[in-house]
Amino acid sequence: MYTLLSGLYKYMFQKDEYCILILGLDNAGKTTFLEQSKTRFNKNYKGMSLSKITTTVGLNIGTVDVGKARLMFWDLGGQEELQSLWDKYYAECHGVIYVIDSTDEERLSESKEAFEKVVSSEALDGVPILVLANKQDVETVAFLKVQVNKQSKLDGTRWWKCSSESHLPCQTCLSIPDIKTAFSDCTCKIGRRDCLTQACSALTGKGVREGIEWMVKCVVRNVHRPPRQRDIT
Amino acid sequence: MGGFFSSIFSSLFGTREMRILILGLDGAGKTTILYRLQVGEVVTTIPTIGFNVETVTYKNLKFQVWDLGGQTSIRPYWRCYYSNTDAVIYVVDSCDRDRIGISKSELVAMLEEEELRKAILVVFANKQDMEQAMTPSEMANALGLPALKDRKWQIFKTSATKGTGLDEAMEWLVETLKSRQ
Repeated sequence: MYTLLSGLYKYMFQKDEYCILILGLDNAGKTTFLEQSKTRFNKNYKGMSLSKITTTVGLNIGTVDVGKARLMFWDLGGQEELQSLWDKYYAECHGVIYVIDSTDEERLSESKEAFEKVVSSEALDGVPILVLANKQDVETVAFLKVQVNKQSKLDGTRWWKCSSESHLPCQTCLSIPDIKTAFSDCTCKIGRRDCLTQACSALTGKGVREGIEWMVKCVVRNVHRPPRQRDIT
Repeated sequence: MGGFFSSIFSSLFGTREMRILILGLDGAGKTTILYRLQVGEVVTTIPTIGFNVETVTYKNLKFQVWDLGGQTSIRPYWRCYYSNTDAVIYVVDSCDRDRIGISKSELVAMLEEEELRKAILVVFANKQDMEQAMTPSEMANALGLPALKDRKWQIFKTSATKGTGLDEAMEWLVETLKSRQ
């Protein structure tokens, strides 16, 4: 009788736990993404203010419940020196989120190299990978700047002639096709696993929910890595 | 009546004092760090037998900081201070490669304690002003930190005598503790 009841209780309340690694170069926005997803998915969670986030030299953790699955995030430091710690986590993880700073064209190749190392690791064979093209909000900043300048046209200032966008000293971000082209070498290494490239902005939260929901779908489907099971405490 | 109002007031506006332990082997620089945080100066220290405790205020958050002696004979007494600890600052001498193994085993034993299950771990890679100091990734590997999967941890490069790294570390600690409340 006890076994029946406890079995029923477990069936109702036990969640499957999946571990997700968040990787990427430093300053890509990994910790911001983690905090944003914690605030989005956990009610009553009062997170860190996103502007106060500093460089991670270590590990940040966070749990997010989506339906019957519980995702446990490991957010690791991305500095070159710290990338040697990444592989210690590969064996136990169920999914990888790789974050790219879409505004940093200069370091895109560096990011690609790091990504290539991640996908070619045998310990990660068959693990779904979500590539996040982060900081997509920067484009809207550029757009706003244009609008401001149009406004000042009305004021009759010399912005009048400055109609073309190229005059503006604003930063724009790479689009998804740009990033896919830059990362095209890695396609063969991705192989048969699930992989999605998603535009997102960790700061505003755009694309965060979609990315995580995709990840949940993939880790649940992936039979090669069964979830960690643990009672809810 | 007054006590009632003051308790309501403090529950609304006051913050609980955070309890922080500074631990590490002897000669790592724990006492120097404590007084650097409290008075902002380098004080001449002698090996601590027993403990030093000071209240440090940083960004409106009050910390009760306990610095416990690190000699082999008195390390078993650390556990008497574990209850209600919010964060552990673990100080490691970055140049002492010979004893890093001992430092690791003390850390591992400490983190197994149930009372510290929720505590945040901050590692101070101290004495970074010296040459041949270990880098954070070397330190993380030597201390076996990648094996910690359920705990938030962070390493800071510090030099207690020069005063570098301490501010960033405290800032990080304040933000982390605030978001945890």
